Amino acid sequence: MSGQATFDPISLEIMWSRLIGIADDMWTTVLRTAVSTIIGAAQDFGCEILDAEGHSVAHSNRSMPVFNIVMPTVTRAVIARHPIETMRPGDVFVTNDPWLCAGHLDDIATITPVFHRGRVVAFAVTVAHTSSIGGALARRTVRDIYEEGLRIPLLKLYDAGALNETAWAFIRENVRTPDMVLTDIEATLTANDLGAQRVVAFLEEYGLPDLTAVAHAIQAHSERAMREAIRALPDGDYEHEVWADGLDEPVRLRCRITVRGDEVAVDYTGSDPERDRGGINCTLTYTQAHTVYPLKCLLSPNVPANEGTFRPFTITAPEGSILNCRVPASVGSRTRTGWHIHELIFGALEPALPDRVQAGNGLMNSVHVYGREPDGRFYNAHFFVAGGRGASRGRDGIGRNCFPSSARNVPVEVFEVRAPVLVHTRALRPDSAGRGQWRGAFGHRLELGVLPGYPLPVSFFIDPDRLHYPPRGLNGGEDGPRAEIWVNGRLLTPDELGGGQITFAGPDDRLVLHIPGGAGYGPPERRDPDLVEADIRAGLVTPTGAAVGS
Amino acid sequence: MRKRYAISVDVGGTFTDFVLFDQASGAPAAFHKVLTDAERPARAVVAGWREILAMVGATSADVDHAVHSTTIVTNAIVERRGVRTALITTRGFRDVLEIGIEQLYDIYDLFAPYPAPLVPRELRREVDERVTRDGAVLRPLDEAAARALVAELAAEGVESIAVSLIHAYRNPTHERRLAEIVAEMCPEISVSLSSRVAPLIGEYERTSTVVADAYVKPLLRRYLADLVAQLRALGFERELYMMLSSGGITTVEAAMDFPIRLLESGPAAGAFAAGYYGRLAGHAHVLSLDMGGTTAKACLIEDGAPAVARMLEADRVHRFKPGSGLPIMAPTVDLIEIGAGGGSIAHVNNLGLMQVGPQSAGSKPGPACYGLGGTEPTVTDANVVLGYLDPGYFLGGRLALQPERARAAIAGRLAEKLGLDPTAAAWGIHAIVNENMAQAARTHLIERNRDPRSVAVVAFGGAGPAHAAAVADILGIRQVIIPFGAGVGSAIGALTAPMALPFVRSHIALLDQCDWALVHALYDEMRAEAARAFAGAGGAVTYRLAADMRFAGQYHELRVDLPADALGPEGVGAIEAAFRAGYTAAYGRAPSGLGIEVLNWHLIAELPRPAFTLASEPCRERDPQVALKGERPAYFPRPEPGYRPCPVYDRYRLEPGARLAGPCIVEEREATIVVPPAWRATIDGYRNVLLERREDEGAR
Repeated sequence: MSGQATFDPISLEIMWSRLIGIADDMWTTVLRTAVSTIIGAAQDFGCEILDAEGHSVAHSNRSMPVFNIVMPTVTRAVIARHPIETMRPGDVFVTNDPWLCAGHLDDIATITPVFHRGRVVAFAVTVAHTSSIGGALARRTVRDIYEEGLRIPLLKLYDAGALNETAWAFIRENVRTPDMVLTDIEATLTANDLGAQRVVAFLEEYGLPDLTAVAHAIQAHSERAMREAIRALPDGDYEHEVWADGLDEPVRLRCRITVRGDEVAVDYTGSDPERDRGGINCTLTYTQAHTVYPLKCLLSPNVPANEGTFRPFTITAPEGSILNCRVPASVGSRTRTGWHIHELIFGALEPALPDRVQAGNGLMNSVHVYGREPDGRFYNAHFFVAGGRGASRGRDGIGRNCFPSSARNVPVEVFEVRAPVLVHTRALRPDSAGRGQWRGAFGHRLELGVLPGYPLPVSFFIDPDRLHYPPRGLNGGEDGPRAEIWVNGRLLTPDELGGGQITFAGPDDRLVLHIPGGAGYGPPERRDPDLVEADIRAGLVTPTGAAVGS
Repeated sequence: MRKRYAISVDVGGTFTDFVLFDQASGAPAAFHKVLTDAERPARAVVAGWREILAMVGATSADVDHAVHSTTIVTNAIVERRGVRTALITTRGFRDVLEIGIEQLYDIYDLFAPYPAPLVPRELRREVDERVTRDGAVLRPLDEAAARALVAELAAEGVESIAVSLIHAYRNPTHERRLAEIVAEMCPEISVSLSSRVAPLIGEYERTSTVVADAYVKPLLRRYLADLVAQLRALGFERELYMMLSSGGITTVEAAMDFPIRLLESGPAAGAFAAGYYGRLAGHAHVLSLDMGGTTAKACLIEDGAPAVARMLEADRVHRFKPGSGLPIMAPTVDLIEIGAGGGSIAHVNNLGLMQVGPQSAGSKPGPACYGLGGTEPTVTDANVVLGYLDPGYFLGGRLALQPERARAAIAGRLAEKLGLDPTAAAWGIHAIVNENMAQAARTHLIERNRDPRSVAVVAFGGAGPAHAAAVADILGIRQVIIPFGAGVGSAIGALTAPMALPFVRSHIALLDQCDWALVHALYDEMRAEAARAFAGAGGAVTYRLAADMRFAGQYHELRVDLPADALGPEGVGAIEAAFRAGYTAAYGRAPSGLGIEVLNWHLIAELPRPAFTLASEPCRERDPQVALKGERPAYFPRPEPGYRPCPVYDRYRLEPGARLAGPCIVEEREATIVVPPAWRATIDGYRNVLLERREDEGAR
């Protein structure tokens, strides 16, 4: 069938939804078969169906946004090295290369070609954040990628159905809690297999020889919607600059967004050079993903995404900059830089899209615990907690999510079952949101300690953001608060945080994290007094905190 | 001894429906429908109960058992009409309910909203206590503080208290002690415990569920106590069973204990009716479309029975998207429900666009045309203006509609603001509510990997038959089945569903380390409860066993039917094989090297009941003219927009084999069928109306 075949609008919409449904089934399969907290509970993974050229067709609804955008990159890298004519049923490819895939070693991609009538018609791909890839636990200390763990080159994990025992053994010997890691990788393979079966069943049901025609139609649809949205933006050059904490010294990020007709170019010239420590560098694939994701949210939020969505964008960053780092730069904590890109984009486009952009975001945090139980087994668990999001014109910040990640938080009960810790408090913190005519969403207070009676010390590994630079207010709205780390009642300075490892020996030791709320929008004195009153009644704003100018 | 009749009663937000089932013949003896009494629902039930028995000259003493479904629970949550409820939780965790799971359920929508918690922050209170992951008490419950807290809540006018403590699924002692304290101090305050309502790990989902339970419990208890007392006074001596969201049944006492398990009671019953009528018409896979006065429910039925999900989301606030509602951890027929009913109110939103629902005028004041004080324009008002409903034959003429009020409400509240004439505004209401239903149904079908065009619609509920063909058109579906008695479909469903009482107990262990003596004891306990519940009913009870299992370390379990006589060390192999088979069927492959864990043990007790059977009559060429009641103008947008004369038929006089061409209208007492221009209708041997889209005209 030619790529130009047409489908009536009802058929196309249903087929499109079906393909998204297949990606969703893959996603559910990973969720239900994985065992780590970071995948099984925090849902840090994504699933996608791509066409035979490695162009995305549909991703699952709750896929990690960045993963959706890097899956085509990694799949096309597979095709470049293993032309599809050479692929055989039962082949599965794997890699965690940060420059080909999701920007740090923790994210492992498995890529399964889908065969129909004897040839590759699609790829079912999953990228999931593994619970360990070896390397340093204190991520802020690393000097290069070699200290960050095992780098899995792009290779065949299965060759015509036969497991690559060598690769499997290499992974097993180089990661912490290897059974957990390997079971999670198996979960992604299970999901890919299920996706492949469903794609074949789909093609058979509709009597299609391959995905080409329907993929092209879907991609054209999304591309058209995106180009229309871009055309509605005034042509021009939009610039902005933000500062992120960095490690020892702050990081400056700059962008120039050039809108011309129905195309957008984003260039990061003027951003700081790559850093030689701390894993805060972004590979270009990762930078590109964190650029087009917020653009998609701003411009065309309601049309499902695929390759077409992202064609009108060109993203560049100078080689050797912190947004286009080179081997062997460390990249483990690339979110410390990459999660500020949306703020850069929002700031730049605020004049053009004043109703859509949002003020600064408190940003999600992860607490990792790892160690050995008295019986010799190891625990390895991640605890995610969201920050408050920024306000926008006409709306308070929406809390309750981890934007720009689609992870969910980890239930306190699950975290405690998986590690010898006690969560003493997880609560909204009063006065933790930037004030404004529209206020930010509230931040959290998180209080953690060792499970009383546990005989061994427990280490918490944290890597908080916003210790220096708070979420920025928009249009007269106030900034949100900075993050704070308290250990046994004492506020740590960023320097004292060091590598981010905090070890407790006794049940009375306490780690308290104040995760920032979002920033405000518009002058606080314009806020509706009834809304202030409601926040005071709820105990989320203190009368002192509500007073303008206090 | 088995008595002759069974009664099924379904209380909806607007109407209360009845079916009288003759157990001797296996056929329905009568249908009936009355307006729901929003203030005192039992009053309408009792009135309708007497009336339907009177229709066949029977009395309450002739009733063997009654099955009852209701939307009281779900409507209270969706419309936020529950009681003033507080939450007591562990120190440090009052915001669990508001923090939620912190997930972007729509990753590209920067503004996707979340539902407001059922309990506001000021009524979420903390107590000092703490249990660890092993169930050990780390900090005992501060009883003095708890007493002070309960006194405070009572003083603040709280009627119901939900208790959700960290790790209470593992050790419920503190939750139980709190319940005792409330019972001692304020016996009038209702209490729901998370460790009883949803003893599952995961504090947000468990808390969300117990809060919803507490929010509705006093309402449901008052209602059921009132109802049972009145039915007893009429001379009804036997058991009243309540339909569960899962499609099983339970006793009144158990329902009062766990009202949240009745969340989708009526819709679950309706789904069984759809499966039944689908089979009658030769369709294994159907879309059940149940549109009542307040909400519409869509449910995919594959191979005759609806699927049961382990949780559902109530009150999805954003385009029916998963993640935008309140999670309720209770087994539920897998359906989607939206605020689209005859009573759904149309309004102009702040963008100047017309919206319909989810607010409903209910039965009081009801749609403007009821003349009971309602002034807001509703779907029913639109259907009157469009000529679909006969103002003189609503509920068979028992409720005289006032078309001038319908027109005035639409003109004054909508048409003027929108710059439309009232007819166009009325069509807008009708079309928007159809789109809303079609969108929800499509989402539901596609999530289950089903092309909408591969199913037939079974439409029922008081408003379903008037909208079904138009909704089917949007979905590309060409066949619609409208059962005889469509207006009381949920009530029929409760009689076609099996009489199944589900029980569950927890004993978490690796399969090869189960305490089988304990498992047997749990099953003995459940069997004894089942025997008590079915004590008054005739027939031999049969039992089925199932268990929730997973590979150790996973977060999700799979329910597996247990092979007979497998409960013991010698049965482990058979149980493992059943689990592996189920797992492989679901996911394709099983992970290597992990143990198998069992969490929950289920017992389903079933009581045989005569099959609900309908007699088939021969179909012949019939002249529909004998059933022609008259003609009235009805509005259709195609082929040319406008009113056109439309024949109106009496459903009770249409004989099997009769064929009708659209546009036309078929009326029965409880519902009105609209056959649009591109559709035709046939009456089958069971007097069901089969609508079919004509091939000669393009879709939509």
